[in-house]
Amino acid sequence: MTLVMVVDDDQDLAEMLGIVLTGAGIDVDLVSRGDEVMDVFHNNPPDLVLLDVMLPGLDGIEVCKLIRAESMVPIVMLSAKGDTQDVVKGLEAGADDYMVKPFRHPSELIARIRTRLRRTNADVSGLLTIGDLAIDVQAHQVLRAGKQIQLTRLEFDLLVALAKEPGRVFTRDALLSEVWGYRHSTDTRLVNVHVQRLRSKIEHDAEHPEIVITIRGVGYKAGVMGGS
Amino acid sequence: MNRIFWTIRNSLAFKVILSTVILSLGVVWITGSALNSRLSSGIKEVNLNSAVVEARSTIFTSEYRFLLAQGEKDSVVQQVVDDVIASATTLTSNENTREVVFIRSPGNTRPINYEIASNLLDPKSIPTTLSERVRKEKDLVWQYTDMRYLAGGKIAGLAIGQKVQIPNAGQYEMYIVFSLANEKKTLDLINSYLLITGIILLLLIALITWLVVRQVVKPVREAARIATEFTAGDFRKRMKVESQDEISTLGHAFNEMAESLEQQIARLENLSRVQQRFVSDVSHELRTPLTTLRMASEVIHSSKDSFDSTVSRSAELLVAQLDRFERLLEDLLEVSRFDAEVAVLEAVDFDIVQLVHRCAEDLALVAKERKTQIYIKSEEPSVMIKADIRRVERILRNLLANAIDHAEEVQIDVQIVASEHDVAVGVRDYGVGLDENALTRVFDRFWRADPSRARTRGGTGLGLSIALEDARLHNGELEAWGRPGRGAHFVMTLPRKTWEAIDRRLIPLQPEDYKA
Repeated sequence: MTLVMVVDDDQDLAEMLGIVLTGAGIDVDLVSRGDEVMDVFHNNPPDLVLLDVMLPGLDGIEVCKLIRAESMVPIVMLSAKGDTQDVVKGLEAGADDYMVKPFRHPSELIARIRTRLRRTNADVSGLLTIGDLAIDVQAHQVLRAGKQIQLTRLEFDLLVALAKEPGRVFTRDALLSEVWGYRHSTDTRLVNVHVQRLRSKIEHDAEHPEIVITIRGVGYKAGVMGGS
Repeated sequence: MNRIFWTIRNSLAFKVILSTVILSLGVVWITGSALNSRLSSGIKEVNLNSAVVEARSTIFTSEYRFLLAQGEKDSVVQQVVDDVIASATTLTSNENTREVVFIRSPGNTRPINYEIASNLLDPKSIPTTLSERVRKEKDLVWQYTDMRYLAGGKIAGLAIGQKVQIPNAGQYEMYIVFSLANEKKTLDLINSYLLITGIILLLLIALITWLVVRQVVKPVREAARIATEFTAGDFRKRMKVESQDEISTLGHAFNEMAESLEQQIARLENLSRVQQRFVSDVSHELRTPLTTLRMASEVIHSSKDSFDSTVSRSAELLVAQLDRFERLLEDLLEVSRFDAEVAVLEAVDFDIVQLVHRCAEDLALVAKERKTQIYIKSEEPSVMIKADIRRVERILRNLLANAIDHAEEVQIDVQIVASEHDVAVGVRDYGVGLDENALTRVFDRFWRADPSRARTRGGTGLGLSIALEDARLHNGELEAWGRPGRGAHFVMTLPRKTWEAIDRRLIPLQPEDYKA
């Protein structure tokens, strides 16, 4: 069964999240302090972490960095502040997605969690190449000159989405629906931040990207030409 | 030329020096003229006195010799006349030339004529006015004149004359003419010295003024430079105060002002930070329990079918009111962000025509419930703008929801017009409309057009006022028109690039279909 770690200092909310997720057939580990996360994480590795930004002990952004340092597990941030800065900070710290409290419907939360847990690109098989990268979709691996590059599941999905149709220009909205499973969301920050993160891992020079190319005013595409 | 005017207009030092020099020129001119006239009249008087004394003695000597020659032969008298002229006349015509002229008095009919002028002096050099006076007066008479020579040449001179009796020849007028060339030379010399002194004085005054003004202007310029930097935002700038004079008072005053301004700014910044913090805290503190509440209500709501009807209906109301509560909270937070001036614009490129269609689609169901429909008319199939899409969407939703609320089962027309520079969206309904009082208050917070009207959409009462703030944040404008019973027209005009100002209104506020 799927295990989700819920990190929130508000006992009632955490309990409520537990009730909703359990009702959807998901196991839940409740953690209320930021500094307790890593212990629980090591003892019982979850399939996904639901992480509040404001936490006692250690704040959510720091916790997010700690988890990212050793695991590619999907992380969804919960933010009570709709403020851009918080959201961007969370995404930059390695979160895959975020939800602003209060959520419209519990079903929305569950849908997001399922999207993050689902194996996307099941339809794509074999080996994709983009630039000087080789992508083994089934094995979930990205190789450059035989060396593996560590990507989170979301970064991998983003790269595969672009690579399976090289040369096609994806709008940010198209990527949001393809990779994040949103229907007409207007929040393109998610795409921008993750493209930056992906570039920092796969590009030779993130300032002059050759693999994920920005099309000004439209979106992104995978570079067709082979890399250096 | 323009540069010179610019310099005069904009340089305090130049203005002060110019006005000082002009004023000094006047003073120097007046003193110079006074000095000049006193000196020349003094010199003339001294010269005149000595000339008169000399003339008197000469004429007296001549009369005496003519008296002695009484009864002699004509040749002897001629000899005496020649002697008199020779002794009274200088030989060379230098600056101190003295000439003698004998003119026969009118009425003298003696045959012998002794009329003569020494050194070829033109007898016409003696003015007729002087001659007339000589004939009347017994004593010496004088007048200034020009000495003209028959050979040419003219010298300023002084003519002094008296009647004399020449033996056997009757009455003659004897004139002694003194050259004033020397006196003129002296006066010219004095004039030129005065002029040179005046010019040097003016130059010195200009130099001194420049030095003094520089002393004053330098700290003023310094103050202006620091004030400019201060205005530009460097609030730590202070003037250097080194002396104990008025300039230092200026410096102290400026520094005190700067200090107080810096404190005020810091206080306001702090206030704004506190406000922002408060908003953020309230937001967080309210949102967390609200999240729990919503999830709990949804869980209850999802199994409402198993409750009896009153509990089931209560669950529905609970969910609906939580929705409304949440909207109200969001709107209040947004308003407080505007009040604290911390609302931020996140501009992205998007197609506003597409956005209008999407908003209309999202509200189509609500419109259908209210038996109305939204028709969209756009000149262009797509209009790209750079703006905060979240805010523009909120404005459009608020306008459409407002129109649906007041449409009275008549259609709603949405018009999109774009120019190179701006884009406008007009939302026209043909429902209850607005009277003049309502028009002035329609953007007020929590204002309701008609308190007796049921608020079915569960609006927060903040929608239009937030929409107005959103439009203004884009440097845009949101305006309302309405007539009771004739519907309303809301027009949003935005610059296609948010940092620019609106060029012109693209949709007339009074709808074209309206005839008063």
